[in-house]
Amino acid sequence: MDRKISCTGLVQEKLNLLKENTNNTVNSLLTELALERAAKVDTKIANGETIGLLEGIPFGIKDVYMLQGTYTTASSDLLKNYKSAYTATAIQKLLDAGAIPIVKENCDSFGHGSSSENTIFGAVKNAINPELVGGGSSGGSAVNVAKDYTVFSIGGDTGGSVRQPAGYNNIYGLKPTYGRISRYGLMAYASSTDCVGPLAKSVEDIRIVLNTMSGKDTKDQTTYTSKTIEEKSILNAADIKTVGYFKNFIESEAIDAQIKDDFLASIEKIKAKGIEVKELDFFKSDILVSTYYTLAMAETASNLSRLDGTNYGDRIDNKDLKESYAITRSEKFSEETKRRIVGGNQVLSQGFSDEIYLKSLALRDSISENFEKDFEQVDIILSPVTPSTPPKIGASLKDPLAMYLSDAYTVGFSLGQLPTLTIPQGTKTGLQVTAAKNNDELVLKFANFLKDTI
Amino acid sequence: MSKIMTVDVLSSIKGAQPSEAVSKLFDVIKNAQATNNTSSFNNNHNNGVSLNNLRDDVVIESSALEKQIIKDNFPKEKDGYLVVSKVIDA
Repeated sequence: MDRKISCTGLVQEKLNLLKENTNNTVNSLLTELALERAAKVDTKIANGETIGLLEGIPFGIKDVYMLQGTYTTASSDLLKNYKSAYTATAIQKLLDAGAIPIVKENCDSFGHGSSSENTIFGAVKNAINPELVGGGSSGGSAVNVAKDYTVFSIGGDTGGSVRQPAGYNNIYGLKPTYGRISRYGLMAYASSTDCVGPLAKSVEDIRIVLNTMSGKDTKDQTTYTSKTIEEKSILNAADIKTVGYFKNFIESEAIDAQIKDDFLASIEKIKAKGIEVKELDFFKSDILVSTYYTLAMAETASNLSRLDGTNYGDRIDNKDLKESYAITRSEKFSEETKRRIVGGNQVLSQGFSDEIYLKSLALRDSISENFEKDFEQVDIILSPVTPSTPPKIGASLKDPLAMYLSDAYTVGFSLGQLPTLTIPQGTKTGLQVTAAKNNDELVLKFANFLKDTI
Repeated sequence: MSKIMTVDVLSSIKGAQPSEAVSKLFDVIKNAQATNNTSSFNNNHNNGVSLNNLRDDVVIESSALEKQIIKDNFPKEKDGYLVVSKVIDA
């Protein structure tokens, strides 16, 4: 149904929905900024000026991105009063395109979690069943999109933090190729796999937002120049001849029987379209998860060492500077964040680094090589997003190891820095579509094809 | 003088102990076999920047608003300066 609404009306409607929502998706509302920007768009329309594709579109931001003058808490006690001094490149590009930020969204503290329960703002409740977790770490962002509180949201994906909550809430969520979008202004978790990622309800929306945020940025020297993905270039998937899937993901004892059956049924539908499907060998899930967490913990221990309450953040004063650091960090970090920092410092310390950290780096190289060989044989790799359906709220915090292992199907693609999209089809928690590095276009193309196929 | 640093000191977290869940992940790595030469170091995901592509080495002045927000974020401030506890090199 079409209806006419002013930009101010639309933004106000979304702000009201967010304010009243009971899914705990909001860390702070950007009411003043959003309404001010909406009024400008209305004036432009009234003056008959042309407006851009994203102009006036209300969107959400995971609360780990800098947006000048707004609270950026990382859902943590330590930064609960911290205000961004500058704006992240990816967010600035959306602002320049006229999109309107309306909310900073709840997530796992510093991205540390797979359920959005590790937060001072209350566990995010799933959009489909509020007794279940919203997924994580970009849980608030996924739920907001699923509930139509935002048109799209910007999450962050280090080991699956966009793709898994997208799967848990039946929407699209993209982790682009590492380096396609600048990380400047994204609070660093694990710098070598951190990616800015959009969540939305259609492939087309993902394409538009991805194009807007992509590009080389001198403030993040891992970025590269990428080509705009045109709408027409992702409509015809005739050049996709071969699809692969990892046999061990599907034969694993950990996979839910229904997810397995649904995945294999999707494979049959793809075969019926004349596409060749190949079974591929891959590393065992526990090796993928352990390699990822070892490296991510080492990187987060380094990245979060700056959070000591000296220049910013809440501080608890003590007799001297060292004691102040220690007391502040002990009291203000969550249990999960402390677990990861301690794990990271363990593997980086003498005696451990060769046996664990350097070996994990070598394993990561092997994983990347494995992917390179796979993409000589297949155009696309298809996988489930998660081995099981979302857990009940409260269950994940009791068993961190189980939570780590639930990331089995997402972390490998992060280590390989590959473009991977969750689509809300195929299994109860969706499917992941992966292509070779820098081939984000092929991922979107195959997602369009699957829309009509399965 | 060599000194053993425990994880709580390394992490600046009082009473921090290695976790059982994390140790299980490390055990998997200890027992794993990398398929290639394990002495290779970070050769497949090299995100290094070429010398010709480095950003200009210039000082960029922050805006007045940025400076003000940075000061507002100080946990303790006196006359526009950051206040910290006494530094003792233990």
